Amino acid sequence: MIRLLKLEYLKNLNYRPFKIFALLYFIVLIGLLFIGLVDFDILGIKVNLKEQGMYNFPGVWNFTTYIVGLLKIFLGCIIVFSICQEFSNRMFKQNLIDGLSREEFIFSKLLTILVFTGFSTLLVFIIGFILGKSYSATQESGLIFKEIYFIFNYFLKLFTFFSFLMFLSILFRKSIFVFLGFFMFWFVEKIMIGVETFGIQHHITELEKAKVLNTTTFLTDYLPLESMSNLIPNPLVRTSMAQMLGMEFKFQYPIGSVIACVIWSIVFISSSYYILKKKDW
Amino acid sequence: MEKILEVKNLTKRFKQIAVNNISFDVEKGNVYGLLGPNGSGKSTTFGMLLSTINPTSGSWKWFGKEGTDTDTLKRIGAIIEQPNFYPYLSAEKNLEIVATIKGTPTQRIDQVLETVNLLARKKDAFSTYSLGMKQRLAIASALLANPEVLILDEPTNGLDPEGIIQIRDIINSIAKSGTTIIVASHLLDEIEKICSHVIVLKHGTAIYSGSVDAMSNTKGFFELKSDDATALISVLNSLSIFSSVKEKDQLVIAQISQDISASELNKKLFEKGIFLSHLTKKKESLETQFLELVKQSNS
Repeated sequence: MIRLLKLEYLKNLNYRPFKIFALLYFIVLIGLLFIGLVDFDILGIKVNLKEQGMYNFPGVWNFTTYIVGLLKIFLGCIIVFSICQEFSNRMFKQNLIDGLSREEFIFSKLLTILVFTGFSTLLVFIIGFILGKSYSATQESGLIFKEIYFIFNYFLKLFTFFSFLMFLSILFRKSIFVFLGFFMFWFVEKIMIGVETFGIQHHITELEKAKVLNTTTFLTDYLPLESMSNLIPNPLVRTSMAQMLGMEFKFQYPIGSVIACVIWSIVFISSSYYILKKKDW
Repeated sequence: MEKILEVKNLTKRFKQIAVNNISFDVEKGNVYGLLGPNGSGKSTTFGMLLSTINPTSGSWKWFGKEGTDTDTLKRIGAIIEQPNFYPYLSAEKNLEIVATIKGTPTQRIDQVLETVNLLARKKDAFSTYSLGMKQRLAIASALLANPEVLILDEPTNGLDPEGIIQIRDIINSIAKSGTTIIVASHLLDEIEKICSHVIVLKHGTAIYSGSVDAMSNTKGFFELKSDDATALISVLNSLSIFSSVKEKDQLVIAQISQDISASELNKKLFEKGIFLSHLTKKKESLETQFLELVKQSNS
Protein backbone atom coordinates (compact mmCIF):
# COMPACT_ATOMS: atom_id res chain seq x y z
CA MET A 1 0.00 0.00 0.00
CA ILE A 2 2.88 2.35 0.81
CA ARG A 3 4.30 1.40 -2.57
CA LEU A 4 1.09 2.38 -4.36
CA LEU A 5 0.83 5.65 -2.43
CA LYS A 6 4.40 6.46 -3.37
CA LEU A 7 3.58 5.67 -6.97
CA GLU A 8 0.61 8.03 -7.00
CA TYR A 9 2.67 10.68 -5.26
CA LEU A 10 5.40 10.45 -7.90
CA LYS A 11 2.90 10.46 -10.75
CA ASN A 12 0.83 13.40 -9.54
CA LEU A 13 3.11 15.69 -7.64
CA ASN A 14 4.48 17.41 -10.70
CA TYR A 15 1.35 17.15 -12.81
CA ARG A 16 0.26 20.76 -13.31
CA PRO A 17 -3.55 20.37 -13.56
CA PHE A 18 -3.32 18.31 -10.41
CA LYS A 19 -1.45 20.99 -8.49
CA ILE A 20 -3.65 23.83 -9.74
CA PHE A 21 -6.97 22.16 -9.03
CA ALA A 22 -5.86 20.79 -5.67
CA LEU A 23 -4.69 24.22 -4.55
CA LEU A 24 -7.79 25.90 -5.91
CA TYR A 25 -10.04 23.38 -4.25
CA PHE A 26 -8.61 23.73 -0.79
CA ILE A 27 -8.46 27.53 -0.96
CA VAL A 28 -12.07 27.82 -2.09
CA LEU A 29 -13.14 25.15 0.40
CA ILE A 30 -11.67 27.02 3.35
CA GLY A 31 -13.02 30.29 1.98
CA LEU A 32 -16.54 28.88 1.66
CA LEU A 33 -16.55 27.60 5.21
CA PHE A 34 -16.05 31.17 6.42
CA ILE A 35 -18.79 32.47 4.13
CA GLY A 36 -21.13 32.94 7.09
CA LEU A 37 -18.98 35.78 8.34
CA VAL A 38 -19.65 37.85 5.24
CA ASP A 39 -22.67 40.03 4.58
CA PHE A 40 -24.41 39.49 1.26
CA ASP A 41 -26.67 41.85 -0.53
CA ILE A 42 -29.39 39.91 -2.33
CA LEU A 43 -31.99 42.14 -4.03
CA GLY A 44 -31.45 44.80 -1.40
CA ILE A 45 -31.87 42.41 1.50
CA LYS A 46 -28.87 41.92 3.66
CA VAL A 47 -28.15 38.28 4.25
CA ASN A 48 -25.68 36.99 6.74
CA LEU A 49 -25.51 33.22 6.95
CA LYS A 50 -24.09 33.31 10.44
CA GLU A 51 -27.16 35.18 11.63
CA GLN A 52 -29.29 32.67 9.72
CA GLY A 53 -27.90 30.04 12.03
CA MET A 54 -25.26 28.52 9.79
CA TYR A 55 -22.82 27.96 12.64
CA ASN A 56 -25.34 26.84 15.23
CA PHE A 57 -24.89 23.36 16.61
CA PRO A 58 -26.03 20.89 15.40
CA GLY A 59 -27.08 22.52 12.13
CA VAL A 60 -23.51 23.60 11.41
CA TRP A 61 -22.71 20.08 10.19
CA ASN A 62 -25.55 20.23 7.70
CA PHE A 63 -24.69 23.73 6.47
CA THR A 64 -20.94 23.23 6.09
CA THR A 65 -21.08 19.82 4.42
CA TYR A 66 -23.80 20.97 2.04
CA ILE A 67 -22.02 24.13 0.95
CA VAL A 68 -18.62 22.51 0.64
CA GLY A 69 -20.19 19.55 -1.14
CA LEU A 70 -20.96 21.83 -4.06
CA LEU A 71 -17.20 22.09 -4.62
CA LYS A 72 -16.63 18.44 -5.21
CA ILE A 73 -16.45 18.94 -8.96
CA PHE A 74 -13.04 20.63 -8.50
CA LEU A 75 -11.65 17.53 -6.86
CA GLY A 76 -13.52 15.52 -9.45
CA CYS A 77 -11.55 17.29 -12.18
CA ILE A 78 -8.31 16.23 -10.53
CA ILE A 79 -9.44 12.62 -10.40
CA VAL A 80 -10.62 12.71 -14.02
CA PHE A 81 -7.50 14.41 -15.38
CA SER A 82 -5.06 12.25 -13.50
CA ILE A 83 -6.78 9.03 -14.56
CA CYS A 84 -7.34 10.09 -18.18
CA GLN A 85 -3.74 11.11 -18.65
CA GLU A 86 -2.71 7.56 -17.77
CA PHE A 87 -4.56 6.46 -20.88
CA SER A 88 -3.77 9.36 -23.20
CA ASN A 89 -0.06 9.03 -22.44
CA ARG A 90 -0.37 5.24 -22.80
CA MET A 91 1.01 4.92 -19.33
CA PHE A 92 -1.56 2.40 -18.15
CA LYS A 93 -0.22 -0.02 -20.76
CA GLN A 94 3.36 0.79 -19.82
CA ASN A 95 2.56 0.35 -16.10
CA LEU A 96 1.11 -3.08 -16.88
CA ILE A 97 4.22 -4.07 -18.81
CA ASP A 98 6.45 -2.83 -16.01
CA GLY A 99 4.62 -5.17 -13.67
CA LEU A 100 1.75 -3.26 -12.08
CA SER A 101 -1.40 -5.39 -11.95
CA ARG A 102 -4.82 -4.10 -12.93
CA GLU A 103 -5.95 -4.55 -9.33
CA GLU A 104 -3.05 -2.45 -8.10
CA PHE A 105 -3.84 0.25 -10.65
CA ILE A 106 -7.45 0.56 -9.45
CA PHE A 107 -6.36 0.36 -5.86
CA SER A 108 -3.79 3.12 -6.32
CA LYS A 109 -6.44 5.38 -7.82
CA LEU A 110 -8.81 4.53 -4.96
CA LEU A 111 -6.07 5.47 -2.53
CA THR A 112 -5.78 8.90 -4.15
CA ILE A 113 -9.55 9.26 -3.91
CA LEU A 114 -9.48 8.19 -0.26
CA VAL A 115 -6.67 10.59 0.58
CA PHE A 116 -8.50 13.52 -0.98
CA THR A 117 -11.87 12.56 0.42
CA GLY A 118 -10.41 11.94 3.85
CA PHE A 119 -8.45 15.17 3.91
CA SER A 120 -11.43 17.18 2.70
CA THR A 121 -13.68 15.57 5.31
CA LEU A 122 -11.18 16.19 8.07
CA LEU A 123 -10.82 19.81 7.06
CA VAL A 124 -14.59 20.36 7.06
CA PHE A 125 -14.86 18.69 10.43
CA ILE A 126 -12.09 20.71 12.06
CA ILE A 127 -13.09 24.07 10.63
CA GLY A 128 -16.80 23.36 11.21
CA PHE A 129 -16.05 22.50 14.79
CA ILE A 130 -13.96 25.63 15.36
CA LEU A 131 -16.60 27.84 13.74
CA GLY A 132 -19.34 26.20 15.76
CA LYS A 133 -17.38 26.63 18.94
CA SER A 134 -16.80 30.30 18.17
CA TYR A 135 -20.18 31.36 16.81
CA SER A 136 -22.86 28.82 17.74
CA ALA A 137 -25.79 30.18 19.73
CA THR A 138 -25.75 27.05 21.85
CA GLN A 139 -22.77 25.23 23.26
CA GLU A 140 -24.82 22.44 24.80
CA SER A 141 -22.66 19.35 24.72
CA GLY A 142 -25.57 17.12 23.74
CA LEU A 143 -26.21 19.16 20.62
CA ILE A 144 -22.65 19.61 19.39
CA PHE A 145 -22.28 16.15 17.89
CA LYS A 146 -25.97 15.40 17.45
CA GLU A 147 -25.83 15.57 13.67
CA ILE A 148 -22.21 14.58 13.25
CA TYR A 149 -23.41 11.88 10.83
CA PHE A 150 -23.39 14.58 8.16
CA ILE A 151 -19.61 14.38 8.27
CA PHE A 152 -19.82 10.67 7.54
CA ASN A 153 -22.41 11.29 4.83
CA TYR A 154 -20.13 13.90 3.32
CA PHE A 155 -17.31 11.39 3.18
CA LEU A 156 -19.55 8.80 1.55
CA LYS A 157 -20.98 11.34 -0.88
CA LEU A 158 -17.52 12.34 -2.07
CA PHE A 159 -16.27 8.79 -2.24
CA THR A 160 -19.24 7.61 -4.31
CA PHE A 161 -18.98 10.61 -6.58
CA PHE A 162 -15.28 10.06 -7.23
CA SER A 163 -15.76 6.34 -7.76
CA PHE A 164 -18.33 7.28 -10.36
CA LEU A 165 -15.87 9.66 -12.05
CA MET A 166 -13.14 7.04 -11.92
CA PHE A 167 -15.48 4.61 -13.64
CA LEU A 168 -16.34 7.17 -16.33
CA SER A 169 -12.65 8.01 -16.80
CA ILE A 170 -11.76 4.37 -17.32
CA LEU A 171 -14.75 3.90 -19.60
CA PHE A 172 -14.13 6.92 -21.85
CA ARG A 173 -10.40 7.58 -21.26
CA LYS A 174 -10.64 11.16 -22.55
CA SER A 175 -11.54 13.90 -20.08
CA ILE A 176 -13.82 15.74 -22.50
CA PHE A 177 -15.90 12.58 -23.02
CA VAL A 178 -15.96 11.98 -19.30
CA PHE A 179 -17.54 15.38 -18.70
CA LEU A 180 -19.98 14.93 -21.57
CA GLY A 181 -20.81 11.46 -20.30
CA PHE A 182 -21.34 12.83 -16.83
CA PHE A 183 -23.79 15.49 -17.99
CA MET A 184 -25.63 12.99 -20.16
CA PHE A 185 -25.95 10.71 -17.16
CA TRP A 186 -27.17 13.55 -14.96
CA PHE A 187 -29.70 14.53 -17.63
CA VAL A 188 -30.99 10.99 -18.07
CA GLU A 189 -31.33 10.61 -14.32
CA LYS A 190 -33.38 13.80 -14.11
CA ILE A 191 -35.64 12.59 -16.93
CA MET A 192 -36.17 9.26 -15.23
CA ILE A 193 -37.07 11.01 -11.99
CA GLY A 194 -39.53 13.19 -13.91
CA VAL A 195 -41.10 10.19 -15.61
CA GLU A 196 -41.51 8.25 -12.38
CA THR A 197 -42.95 11.21 -10.51
CA PHE A 198 -45.38 11.85 -13.34
CA GLY A 199 -46.32 8.15 -13.50
CA ILE A 200 -47.20 8.13 -9.82
CA GLN A 201 -48.91 11.49 -9.69
CA HIS A 202 -50.79 11.91 -12.92
CA HIS A 203 -53.96 10.08 -11.89
CA ILE A 204 -54.37 11.49 -8.39
CA THR A 205 -55.76 14.73 -7.04
CA GLU A 206 -53.71 17.75 -6.02
CA LEU A 207 -54.41 17.12 -2.36
CA GLU A 208 -53.10 13.61 -2.42
CA LYS A 209 -49.95 14.59 -4.26
CA ALA A 210 -48.23 16.11 -1.24
CA LYS A 211 -49.06 13.03 0.80
CA VAL A 212 -47.80 10.67 -1.90
CA LEU A 213 -44.55 12.57 -2.11
CA ASN A 214 -43.89 11.85 1.54
CA THR A 215 -45.07 8.29 1.76
CA THR A 216 -44.15 6.63 -1.55
CA THR A 217 -40.72 5.28 -2.13
CA PHE A 218 -39.38 6.51 -5.43
CA LEU A 219 -37.16 4.01 -7.19
CA THR A 220 -35.32 6.85 -8.88
CA ASP A 221 -34.26 8.07 -5.43
CA TYR A 222 -31.74 5.28 -5.53
CA LEU A 223 -30.08 6.28 -8.77
CA PRO A 224 -26.41 7.20 -8.19
CA LEU A 225 -26.51 11.00 -8.36
CA GLU A 226 -29.87 11.21 -6.61
CA SER A 227 -28.85 8.99 -3.73
CA MET A 228 -25.63 11.00 -3.36
CA SER A 229 -27.57 14.25 -3.15
CA ASN A 230 -30.05 12.75 -0.67
CA LEU A 231 -27.24 12.14 1.78
CA ILE A 232 -27.11 15.82 2.73
CA PRO A 233 -30.39 17.80 2.47
CA ASN A 234 -30.49 21.42 1.41
CA PRO A 235 -30.19 23.35 4.69
CA LEU A 236 -32.14 26.32 3.36
CA VAL A 237 -35.19 25.42 5.44
CA ARG A 238 -33.04 25.53 8.54
CA THR A 239 -32.22 29.20 8.16
CA SER A 240 -33.94 31.46 10.66
CA MET A 241 -35.56 33.24 7.71
CA ALA A 242 -37.25 30.05 6.57
CA GLN A 243 -38.24 29.17 10.11
CA MET A 244 -39.93 32.54 10.39
CA LEU A 245 -41.86 31.77 7.23
CA GLY A 246 -43.13 28.69 8.98
CA MET A 247 -41.07 26.08 7.14
CA GLU A 248 -40.27 23.07 9.14
CA PHE A 249 -37.06 21.12 8.96
CA LYS A 250 -37.86 17.46 8.75
CA PHE A 251 -35.06 15.03 8.20
CA GLN A 252 -34.82 11.35 8.63
CA TYR A 253 -31.48 9.70 8.41
CA PRO A 254 -31.34 8.52 4.76
CA ILE A 255 -30.27 4.98 5.48
CA GLY A 256 -31.62 3.88 2.09
CA SER A 257 -29.44 6.38 0.28
CA VAL A 258 -26.41 5.39 2.36
CA ILE A 259 -26.86 1.77 1.34
CA ALA A 260 -27.49 2.79 -2.27
CA CYS A 261 -24.25 4.84 -2.29
CA VAL A 262 -22.22 1.98 -0.88
CA ILE A 263 -23.69 -0.38 -3.48
CA TRP A 264 -23.08 2.08 -6.31
CA SER A 265 -19.47 2.55 -5.21
CA ILE A 266 -18.96 -1.19 -5.33
CA VAL A 267 -20.63 -1.34 -8.75
CA PHE A 268 -18.43 1.47 -10.13
CA ILE A 269 -15.21 0.05 -8.76
CA SER A 270 -15.87 -3.48 -9.96
CA SER A 271 -17.05 -2.27 -13.38
CA SER A 272 -13.83 -0.26 -13.69
CA TYR A 273 -11.87 -3.38 -12.95
CA TYR A 274 -13.91 -5.38 -15.43
CA ILE A 275 -13.19 -2.86 -18.20
CA LEU A 276 -9.45 -2.89 -17.49
CA LYS A 277 -9.50 -6.68 -17.51
CA LYS A 278 -11.52 -7.22 -20.67
CA LYS A 279 -10.10 -4.57 -22.94
CA ASP A 280 -6.97 -5.10 -25.02
CA TRP A 281 -4.37 -2.41 -24.34
CA MET B 1 19.35 -25.39 -23.06
CA GLU B 2 17.13 -23.63 -20.55
CA LYS B 3 13.90 -22.40 -22.03
CA ILE B 4 12.94 -18.85 -21.16
CA LEU B 5 9.71 -18.83 -23.11
CA GLU B 6 7.58 -21.51 -24.70
CA VAL B 7 4.68 -20.38 -26.85
CA LYS B 8 2.06 -22.90 -27.96
CA ASN B 9 -0.64 -22.30 -30.57
CA LEU B 10 -1.08 -18.68 -29.68
CA THR B 11 -3.99 -17.06 -31.51
CA LYS B 12 -5.54 -13.61 -31.38
CA ARG B 13 -8.58 -12.61 -33.31
CA PHE B 14 -9.67 -8.97 -33.35
CA LYS B 15 -12.16 -8.34 -36.14
CA GLN B 16 -9.91 -10.46 -38.27
CA ILE B 17 -7.15 -12.79 -37.30
CA ALA B 18 -4.03 -10.98 -36.07
CA VAL B 19 -1.94 -13.84 -34.77
CA ASN B 20 -2.66 -17.28 -36.09
CA ASN B 21 -1.68 -20.34 -34.13
CA ILE B 22 1.98 -19.55 -33.64
CA SER B 23 4.38 -21.63 -31.58
CA PHE B 24 8.02 -21.04 -30.79
CA ASP B 25 10.58 -21.44 -28.03
CA VAL B 26 13.11 -18.95 -26.75
CA GLU B 27 16.28 -20.33 -25.24
CA LYS B 28 18.42 -18.62 -22.68
CA GLY B 29 21.24 -16.39 -23.85
CA ASN B 30 20.24 -16.07 -27.51
CA VAL B 31 19.12 -13.04 -29.45
CA TYR B 32 15.84 -13.70 -31.23
CA GLY B 33 14.43 -11.68 -34.05
CA LEU B 34 10.72 -11.46 -34.68
CA LEU B 35 10.61 -10.59 -38.31
CA GLY B 36 7.73 -9.52 -40.45
CA PRO B 37 6.23 -6.63 -42.36
CA ASN B 38 4.07 -4.00 -40.67
CA GLY B 39 0.81 -5.53 -39.51
CA SER B 40 2.09 -9.09 -39.42
CA GLY B 41 1.25 -9.51 -35.74
CA LYS B 42 4.56 -8.76 -34.01
CA SER B 43 3.23 -6.21 -31.55
CA THR B 44 0.08 -8.23 -30.90
CA THR B 45 2.23 -11.23 -30.02
CA PHE B 46 4.28 -9.15 -27.61
CA GLY B 47 1.10 -7.62 -26.19
CA MET B 48 -0.25 -11.05 -25.31
CA LEU B 49 3.05 -12.26 -23.85
CA LEU B 50 3.20 -9.09 -21.74
CA SER B 51 -0.39 -9.41 -20.47
CA THR B 52 -1.76 -6.27 -22.09
CA ILE B 53 -3.81 -8.16 -24.69
CA ASN B 54 -6.10 -11.06 -23.89
CA PRO B 55 -5.37 -14.02 -26.20
CA THR B 56 -8.19 -15.72 -28.09
CA SER B 57 -6.61 -19.12 -27.55
CA GLY B 58 -3.29 -20.77 -26.94
CA SER B 59 -0.88 -20.75 -24.04
CA TRP B 60 2.66 -19.89 -23.10
CA LYS B 61 5.13 -20.33 -20.29
CA TRP B 62 7.60 -17.76 -19.03
CA PHE B 63 10.45 -19.36 -17.10
CA GLY B 64 8.44 -22.58 -17.01
CA LYS B 65 5.45 -20.89 -15.39
CA GLU B 66 2.08 -20.73 -17.14
CA GLY B 67 0.97 -17.29 -18.40
CA THR B 68 2.26 -13.87 -17.39
CA ASP B 69 1.87 -12.58 -13.85
CA THR B 70 3.35 -9.47 -12.27
CA ASP B 71 6.30 -11.37 -10.80
CA THR B 72 7.18 -12.59 -14.27
CA LEU B 73 6.87 -9.08 -15.68
CA LYS B 74 9.32 -7.83 -13.10
CA ARG B 75 11.93 -10.19 -14.56
CA ILE B 76 11.32 -8.85 -18.07
CA GLY B 77 12.40 -5.53 -19.50
CA ALA B 78 10.24 -4.40 -22.40
CA ILE B 79 9.83 -1.54 -24.81
CA ILE B 80 6.84 -1.68 -27.07
CA GLU B 81 5.99 0.34 -30.15
CA GLN B 82 7.09 3.71 -28.85
CA PRO B 83 8.68 5.02 -25.69
CA ASN B 84 5.96 5.67 -23.11
CA PHE B 85 6.74 7.96 -20.20
CA TYR B 86 5.00 10.67 -18.23
CA PRO B 87 5.82 13.65 -20.47
CA TYR B 88 5.75 16.20 -17.64
CA LEU B 89 8.23 14.28 -15.47
CA SER B 90 12.02 14.17 -15.70
CA ALA B 91 13.85 11.03 -16.82
CA GLU B 92 14.91 10.46 -13.24
CA LYS B 93 11.35 10.70 -11.84
CA ASN B 94 10.04 8.47 -14.61
CA LEU B 95 12.59 5.81 -13.78
CA GLU B 96 11.75 6.22 -10.11
CA ILE B 97 8.17 5.27 -10.99
CA VAL B 98 9.36 2.20 -12.89
CA ALA B 99 11.59 1.25 -9.95
CA THR B 100 8.64 1.63 -7.58
CA ILE B 101 6.47 -0.62 -9.74
CA LYS B 102 9.19 -3.22 -10.16
CA GLY B 103 10.21 -3.02 -6.53
CA THR B 104 13.87 -2.43 -7.30
CA PRO B 105 16.16 0.02 -5.51
CA THR B 106 16.54 3.44 -7.13
CA GLN B 107 20.35 3.36 -6.94
CA ARG B 108 20.58 1.80 -10.38
CA ILE B 109 18.89 4.77 -12.06
CA ASP B 110 22.11 6.71 -12.61
CA GLN B 111 23.87 3.58 -13.77
CA VAL B 112 21.33 2.75 -16.50
CA LEU B 113 21.14 6.38 -17.58
CA GLU B 114 24.92 6.27 -17.95
CA THR B 115 24.64 3.12 -20.09
CA VAL B 116 22.40 4.91 -22.58
CA ASN B 117 24.32 8.15 -22.28
CA LEU B 118 21.54 10.27 -20.79
CA LEU B 119 22.93 10.99 -17.35
CA ALA B 120 23.55 14.65 -18.12
CA ARG B 121 19.89 15.15 -19.07
CA LYS B 122 18.31 13.26 -16.19
CA LYS B 123 16.65 16.31 -14.65
CA ASP B 124 14.95 17.41 -17.89
CA ALA B 125 11.31 16.68 -18.61
CA PHE B 126 10.70 13.75 -20.93
CA SER B 127 8.71 15.97 -23.28
CA THR B 128 11.86 17.95 -24.12
CA TYR B 129 13.70 14.85 -25.40
CA SER B 130 14.42 14.05 -29.03
CA LEU B 131 13.10 10.79 -30.45
CA GLY B 132 16.51 9.14 -30.16
CA MET B 133 16.81 10.16 -26.53
CA LYS B 134 13.31 8.91 -25.79
CA GLN B 135 14.16 5.57 -27.33
CA ARG B 136 17.36 5.35 -25.30
CA LEU B 137 15.48 6.25 -22.12
CA ALA B 138 13.09 3.40 -22.91
CA ILE B 139 16.04 1.03 -23.07
CA ALA B 140 17.37 2.42 -19.79
CA SER B 141 13.97 1.82 -18.23
CA ALA B 142 13.85 -1.74 -19.55
CA LEU B 143 17.30 -2.39 -18.10
CA LEU B 144 16.50 -0.89 -14.71
CA ALA B 145 15.55 -4.07 -12.90
CA ASN B 146 18.37 -6.20 -14.33
CA PRO B 147 15.98 -8.21 -16.51
CA GLU B 148 16.62 -11.79 -17.55
CA VAL B 149 14.86 -11.14 -20.85
CA LEU B 150 14.69 -7.98 -22.87
CA ILE B 151 11.82 -7.42 -25.30
CA LEU B 152 12.30 -4.71 -27.88
CA ASP B 153 9.61 -3.82 -30.37
CA GLU B 154 11.01 -1.79 -33.27
CA PRO B 155 13.74 -0.20 -31.15
CA THR B 156 15.15 1.85 -34.04
CA ASN B 157 11.86 2.94 -35.56
CA GLY B 158 12.05 6.51 -36.83
CA LEU B 159 15.63 7.10 -35.74
CA ASP B 160 18.37 8.73 -37.82
CA PRO B 161 21.42 6.62 -38.84
CA GLU B 162 23.43 7.80 -35.86
CA GLY B 163 20.60 6.96 -33.48
CA ILE B 164 20.23 3.53 -35.08
CA ILE B 165 23.93 2.79 -34.59
CA GLN B 166 23.78 3.96 -30.97
CA ILE B 167 20.81 1.71 -30.22
CA ARG B 168 22.39 -1.21 -32.05
CA ASP B 169 25.61 -0.84 -30.06
CA ILE B 170 23.66 -0.77 -26.82
CA ILE B 171 21.72 -3.90 -27.81
CA ASN B 172 24.91 -5.68 -28.83
CA SER B 173 26.63 -4.94 -25.55
CA ILE B 174 23.57 -6.13 -23.61
CA ALA B 175 23.51 -9.32 -25.67
CA LYS B 176 27.18 -9.92 -24.84
CA SER B 177 26.37 -9.78 -21.15
CA GLY B 178 24.26 -12.91 -21.63
CA THR B 179 20.79 -11.36 -21.44
CA THR B 180 18.24 -13.07 -23.64
CA ILE B 181 16.81 -10.61 -26.13
CA ILE B 182 13.72 -10.79 -28.32
CA VAL B 183 13.66 -8.00 -30.85
CA ALA B 184 10.90 -7.30 -33.34
CA SER B 185 11.61 -5.41 -36.50
CA HIS B 186 10.60 -5.10 -40.08
CA LEU B 187 14.17 -4.07 -40.90
CA LEU B 188 15.94 -7.20 -42.10
CA ASP B 189 19.31 -5.59 -41.96
CA GLU B 190 18.69 -4.87 -38.31
CA ILE B 191 17.86 -8.47 -37.45
CA GLU B 192 20.72 -9.83 -39.52
CA LYS B 193 23.21 -7.74 -37.60
CA ILE B 194 22.13 -8.69 -34.11
CA CYS B 195 20.12 -11.91 -34.07
CA SER B 196 21.13 -15.52 -33.89
CA HIS B 197 17.59 -16.85 -34.27
CA VAL B 198 14.56 -15.64 -36.17
CA ILE B 199 10.83 -16.15 -36.18
CA VAL B 200 9.31 -14.94 -39.42
CA LEU B 201 5.72 -13.80 -39.25
CA LYS B 202 3.40 -13.17 -42.14
CA HIS B 203 -0.28 -12.30 -41.76
CA GLY B 204 -0.09 -13.58 -38.19
CA THR B 205 1.35 -16.95 -39.15
CA ALA B 206 4.87 -18.04 -38.26
CA ILE B 207 6.38 -19.19 -41.54
CA TYR B 208 9.81 -19.87 -40.10
CA SER B 209 11.30 -20.37 -36.68
CA GLY B 210 14.92 -21.33 -36.11
CA SER B 211 18.48 -20.12 -36.42
CA VAL B 212 19.40 -17.46 -38.95
CA ASP B 213 21.94 -19.78 -40.56
CA ALA B 214 19.47 -22.57 -41.11
CA MET B 215 16.86 -20.24 -42.51
CA SER B 216 17.63 -21.14 -46.09
CA ASN B 217 18.87 -24.56 -46.98
CA THR B 218 20.72 -23.32 -50.07
CA LYS B 219 24.48 -23.49 -49.88
CA GLY B 220 24.96 -20.06 -51.37
CA PHE B 221 26.04 -19.00 -54.84
CA PHE B 222 29.01 -17.90 -56.93
CA GLU B 223 29.33 -14.64 -58.78
CA LEU B 224 31.63 -15.08 -61.76
CA LYS B 225 32.84 -13.01 -64.64
CA SER B 226 34.90 -13.94 -67.67
CA ASP B 227 35.60 -12.36 -71.04
CA ASP B 228 33.77 -15.20 -72.75
CA ALA B 229 30.50 -15.43 -70.86
CA THR B 230 28.91 -18.09 -73.12
CA ALA B 231 31.86 -20.46 -72.73
CA LEU B 232 31.79 -19.89 -68.99
CA ILE B 233 28.09 -20.74 -68.74
CA SER B 234 28.41 -23.92 -70.77
CA VAL B 235 31.39 -25.11 -68.71
CA LEU B 236 29.57 -24.35 -65.47
CA ASN B 237 26.56 -26.32 -66.67
CA SER B 238 28.74 -29.25 -67.63
CA LEU B 239 30.20 -29.44 -64.10
CA SER B 240 26.69 -30.36 -62.81
CA ILE B 241 27.31 -29.10 -59.32
CA PHE B 242 25.02 -26.11 -59.71
CA SER B 243 21.25 -26.03 -59.49
CA SER B 244 21.04 -23.06 -61.80
CA VAL B 245 23.34 -20.85 -63.83
CA LYS B 246 22.10 -17.46 -64.88
CA GLU B 247 23.50 -14.31 -66.34
CA LYS B 248 22.66 -11.10 -64.55
CA ASP B 249 24.14 -7.62 -64.94
CA GLN B 250 27.20 -8.92 -66.78
CA LEU B 251 27.82 -11.36 -63.95
CA VAL B 252 27.14 -15.07 -64.05
CA ILE B 253 25.29 -16.30 -60.98
CA ALA B 254 25.64 -20.00 -60.19
CA GLN B 255 23.51 -21.51 -57.39
CA ILE B 256 25.45 -24.20 -55.56
CA SER B 257 23.86 -27.61 -55.12
CA GLN B 258 27.04 -29.51 -54.23
CA ASP B 259 29.37 -27.63 -51.93
CA ILE B 260 32.62 -26.50 -53.51
CA SER B 261 35.17 -23.93 -52.43
CA ALA B 262 36.04 -20.91 -54.56
CA SER B 263 39.63 -22.01 -55.17
CA GLU B 264 38.53 -25.49 -56.23
CA LEU B 265 36.07 -24.03 -58.72
CA ASN B 266 38.72 -21.65 -60.00
CA LYS B 267 41.08 -24.57 -60.53
CA LYS B 268 38.45 -26.57 -62.43
CA LEU B 269 37.60 -23.67 -64.69
CA PHE B 270 41.27 -22.97 -65.33
CA GLU B 271 41.74 -26.58 -66.41
CA LYS B 272 38.89 -26.08 -68.92
CA GLY B 273 40.58 -22.99 -70.26
CA ILE B 274 38.31 -20.40 -68.65
CA PHE B 275 39.99 -17.38 -67.11
CA LEU B 276 38.02 -15.48 -64.55
CA SER B 277 38.14 -11.77 -63.98
CA HIS B 278 35.80 -12.01 -60.98
CA LEU B 279 34.91 -14.75 -58.54
CA THR B 280 33.03 -14.48 -55.22
CA LYS B 281 31.21 -17.03 -53.11
CA LYS B 282 28.19 -15.56 -51.38
CA LYS B 283 25.44 -16.51 -49.04
CA GLU B 284 21.98 -15.14 -49.64
CA SER B 285 21.30 -12.06 -47.55
CA LEU B 286 18.54 -12.29 -45.00
CA GLU B 287 16.50 -10.11 -47.26
CA THR B 288 16.63 -12.58 -50.15
CA GLN B 289 15.96 -15.45 -47.82
CA PHE B 290 13.04 -13.62 -46.32
CA LEU B 291 11.53 -12.80 -49.69
CA GLU B 292 12.11 -16.41 -50.72
CA LEU B 293 10.23 -17.62 -47.64
CA VAL B 294 7.38 -15.23 -48.26
CA LYS B 295 7.19 -16.43 -51.86
CA GLN B 296 7.18 -20.06 -50.77
CA SER B 297 4.42 -19.49 -48.28
CA ASN B 298 2.35 -17.78 -50.93
CA SER B 299 2.40 -20.74 -53.25
